[in-house]
Amino acid sequence: MSEINTLREMRPAPPPAELEAMRMTARERFVAGTRSRRARRRSRLPALAGGLTAAVAAAAAAALLLTSGPGTVPGKHETGGRTRTVVTAAWTVREDADGTVTIYMRQYTDPAGLQQALRADGVNAIVRQGPGASPTFGNGTTALPATGNTYSTCNYADTAPRAVQRAVVTFAGQDLPARFIIHPDAMPPGSALFLPFLVGTRSPKNANTGIVAFPPVVLTSDTVPACGGPHS
Amino acid sequence: MTIDTQASDADLIARSLAEPDLFTAVFDRHSAEILRYVYARLGAELAEDVTAETFLAAFGCRGRYDGSWPDARPWLYGIAVRQIRRHRRVEARRLRLLRSALADGPAEDHSDRVVERVTAARLGPRLAAVLAALPRQDRELLLLFAWAELSYAEAAAALGTTAGAVKARLHRIRVRMRRELGGSNPMNEENGDE
Repeated sequence: MSEINTLREMRPAPPPAELEAMRMTARERFVAGTRSRRARRRSRLPALAGGLTAAVAAAAAAALLLTSGPGTVPGKHETGGRTRTVVTAAWTVREDADGTVTIYMRQYTDPAGLQQALRADGVNAIVRQGPGASPTFGNGTTALPATGNTYSTCNYADTAPRAVQRAVVTFAGQDLPARFIIHPDAMPPGSALFLPFLVGTRSPKNANTGIVAFPPVVLTSDTVPACGGPHS
Repeated sequence: MTIDTQASDADLIARSLAEPDLFTAVFDRHSAEILRYVYARLGAELAEDVTAETFLAAFGCRGRYDGSWPDARPWLYGIAVRQIRRHRRVEARRLRLLRSALADGPAEDHSDRVVERVTAARLGPRLAAVLAALPRQDRELLLLFAWAELSYAEAAAALGTTAGAVKARLHRIRVRMRRELGGSNPMNEENGDE
């Protein structure tokens, strides 16, 4: 049993307070997810009962075609237990049955297609080239110490409070491919999700692609504000 | 909605088909344990997220739950393992970090388990490297056994296989680990598994 005991001792564990905080956040997401799933199910029943299955399927297929941008990989639209998935060479947008929308970002190309795919999933999204949103780095050009790569960043004004940002967007990884999880239900009325496409300048010392994934930011309106807010 | 605190998970899951809110009781019973496991595998960055996804997936397929298992833990771990599989890069990075952290040496510790901790610190970097090099299925099984502390039968239920197959695979994994650790484990004991 020695290897097993040693492995048990190696197991990383969070402090109890942190564990409980994470558990409560997970619980909120779980409860919201089950409610959203049940609400969707209820709203779909009349359409199904009315014999509209074929029409719904046709509409979904049309939406998939509309949202497929340049570089789309044909035949990769999955609809199994999920509502739908749009796959292109650059990114994947998946809408789960609970309403959560996940973006898997592989390359920062086809912003218009990504914006269209997100809007089709009910996310009021704005996707365009622009500096990365970073209250920490503020406005200007920043060289990340870890890589030496240089990026334009902006402390966008008129963004939603941090608690809202956390509720709407979670993300994993700064290197591509990155994953952004969007909870459209948590977006305040009238707000928009801004996803700036940011391509940095690669440091000659670094093999990194020079691309870093800055997460989307929730704006209080659907107009992209100018840079100018103070550093936080 | 009334929740019988003595009700088995199987009862709660069956009743949740008619009263979906009852499934929250299953979350409350097991989420801390599943979260700890996910945290150990993927870190804080994804722990909340993957735990919520695990229980949402469980909620979505609760109609197929095998009611002959009163305890839902093996089923939940099986779902968690599949969710964790979607984050292979994060796990690989996590294992590299674990290896580095263990290589930094043991923290001062005056608990009763200090000997095991020192052993873990001594073997940890190599063990973490062995863990990272294991085939995915082997690593999943080993960690269900070591970190989730499931029995053979429970690990088998989680992975959709038999207890006999689990026992045989674990034996093979442990032989490989001992070989790759160079047989230098000072805590080595010649006893069985359970």
